Amino acid sequence: MDSKLIKEQEIKRNINNAFRSAEVTVVRRRRISVRFRAGILPAFISYLKEYMGFVHLVMISCVDWLEDNQFELVYHLWSYEEHIHAMIKIRLDRDNAQIKSLSSLWPHAETYEREIHEMFGVDFEGHPGLTDLILEDWSDLPPMRRDFDTRAFVAETFEWRKGREDAQDVRQTISARYGETIPEFKKDK
Amino acid sequence: MNDDLDRQNNNIIANWARKHSLWVLAYGTGCGAIEVPPTMTSRYDAERFGITGMATPRQADVLLITGYLAIKTLKRVIRTYEQMQAPKYVIGFGSCTINGGMYWDSYNTIKRLDDYIPVDIFINGCMPRPEGVIDGFIKLQERIARGQAKGWQHYQENLDWYRANQKKVIKNWTMPDYNW
Amino acid sequence: MAALLTKEKETTLYLGPQHPGITGNMMVELKLTGDTIQRAKTHVGYLHRAFEKLMEERLWMQCFPIVCRICVPEPDPNEENLARAIEEIEGREVPERAQYIRVLMLELARITAYLMWMGGQSGSMGLYTMPQWSIGDRDYILDLFEELTGGRVYHMYIWAGGVRRDLPVGFKDRVRKVMDYIESRLVDYDRLLFENAIFLKRAQGIGIIDKEKALEWGVVGPPLRGCGIAHDVRKDEPYEVYDQLDFELITHEGNDVYSRAMVRRKEIEQSIHIIRQVLDKMPSGPIHNPGPNPLKWKVPAGDAYVRTESARGEFGYYVVSDGSLKPRRVHVRGPAYVHGIALLEHLLQGANVADVSFIMNSLGTCPPEIER
Repeated sequence: MDSKLIKEQEIKRNINNAFRSAEVTVVRRRRISVRFRAGILPAFISYLKEYMGFVHLVMISCVDWLEDNQFELVYHLWSYEEHIHAMIKIRLDRDNAQIKSLSSLWPHAETYEREIHEMFGVDFEGHPGLTDLILEDWSDLPPMRRDFDTRAFVAETFEWRKGREDAQDVRQTISARYGETIPEFKKDK
Repeated sequence: MNDDLDRQNNNIIANWARKHSLWVLAYGTGCGAIEVPPTMTSRYDAERFGITGMATPRQADVLLITGYLAIKTLKRVIRTYEQMQAPKYVIGFGSCTINGGMYWDSYNTIKRLDDYIPVDIFINGCMPRPEGVIDGFIKLQERIARGQAKGWQHYQENLDWYRANQKKVIKNWTMPDYNW
Repeated sequence: MAALLTKEKETTLYLGPQHPGITGNMMVELKLTGDTIQRAKTHVGYLHRAFEKLMEERLWMQCFPIVCRICVPEPDPNEENLARAIEEIEGREVPERAQYIRVLMLELARITAYLMWMGGQSGSMGLYTMPQWSIGDRDYILDLFEELTGGRVYHMYIWAGGVRRDLPVGFKDRVRKVMDYIESRLVDYDRLLFENAIFLKRAQGIGIIDKEKALEWGVVGPPLRGCGIAHDVRKDEPYEVYDQLDFELITHEGNDVYSRAMVRRKEIEQSIHIIRQVLDKMPSGPIHNPGPNPLKWKVPAGDAYVRTESARGEFGYYVVSDGSLKPRRVHVRGPAYVHGIALLEHLLQGANVADVSFIMNSLGTCPPEIER
């Protein structure tokens, strides 16, 4: 098993030589995961991009860990040379979520950051324009946060058609309308 | 004015002509737009029934709402609908226009299309097959021939009700209030 | 005359969302002087359904009908990704036959997406015969889907642990027949579109992606291979049984709309080739490795990123589970997210207004996967 992970272990060693504080784990073949601190993130990412061959920014995800009062930003990078996917995970304080923007490294990082700003309320320093990307005239909580209750919002904003809320059996309606009997189905045991 | 509208609606010859040339506005508002090309092209060939696409709202007769409407799209749809010339018909396409469908608890899609614009025919299914779409169009044609497809007239008469519903979800109403 | 042009005022043109040339429901805001685009800005969000939020409210099994609605022309990579991500977190094995059936589905879906794209690409230059042919032919594959899964467009066929149904009797023969038919039609497509003098004149030298910067820009899929860079998830990180199948990686030099079109055109042949191999090699055996009762199905805590090569490029899912009945987070990476916003804005600079929808189609911009 270990013999197959030579490339991954080598990358882990290289990263640890350059950045001692990075906690690198080899998840499986072609996957490494790095825990890092938010302070010098741009330097770390540009090191990965320029020297380690992680040229492809796959995406930036954000996970809301409401229990820990933290956001986890995950930067997905892919190396076309080594065929290795790196996930750089950063924890941010939920109340004061701020991080430096990567829009100078990749042009499309800008779009991802705009979306995370809009959906979670994370602030990106040095971003050229954190305007709305997807929503329009949104005044509520950023909707992808765990504490935003979409069902309560829907119940307040929209009106459902009758029959939706009790989710009754359609066959009853049909049988009432056409006078047909509902066939008995075998009960699952 | 209403008498005038009624007379327009009940004109048998005009209805017969309208029924056979339904120009559909090419506005793919949702995922149902994927079943419109098969309906229009060689296999199902909706043009047999006089149904064909049209690029501008001013010359279109039918607004096909192909699926869920995000609030951001709803604003554009209302604008588009009001630009169309009467008589105009709306087809709600897919379950999500009827009661929200799959997206019943989504914060960004409307649940009942007929609260915001008048709908003449609903086609259910997620998504409806091209046969279902053509069947919906034929039902619309029958309603037009009988003078029952009066959604546009209903919209004019109950504009305040529709406007109140629309303004409830569209927070920043930047459009001009419609002038009949 | 030149002085007149430089003095010309900058005008703003909003293309879309209601515009037949736009691929789906999105808007491009163009700043023009005369006919030339100075700056372009993409506005998306017209199709936002908050799938990622909805999935946090659903059981794991209920997520499968949701994800396939993320990308309409080609829904199968979504199901495949979610299934594979869950399998990776759970460590669940997939029977070999199910893997072959998944590859069959994915390749059939790729062909349908390319046929759909052919219609859009030629429709955007005013060649309306092509949609009549290619979308009509696409329906034969949709019939196969319908027979196998019950749905024409959305299949909900691939699920965690395998696939939902086994192939019906005689299905393989019908797939072979349709593949033979599509292959015979390729000659007609070549004559009508790919060797068409108008298309050659129109497509060459338009929408050029800088080859040096392509990787950095995040270009994936056919646009990347249209720059002559040979990267494909099926080869780079083989999933399912792609490493046991023989197929060529198509690249084309030129970096323009034409080279992207040729990549797609040749990939249809490769897909047909793959499908024939799959049909020949498919072993018998079980098709599903069942998990727990879906109502009590808890995926163990963990996270996984999986990727699939869709018709537009790398389609990725990042799935996080906290060990409960519902996903913690599912983040979707659609290839159009990069192609349709940052890259499109870049490519449109200096282009002609008439080429906007042409370039958009060649990138395969698909708004539903941008905003989910």
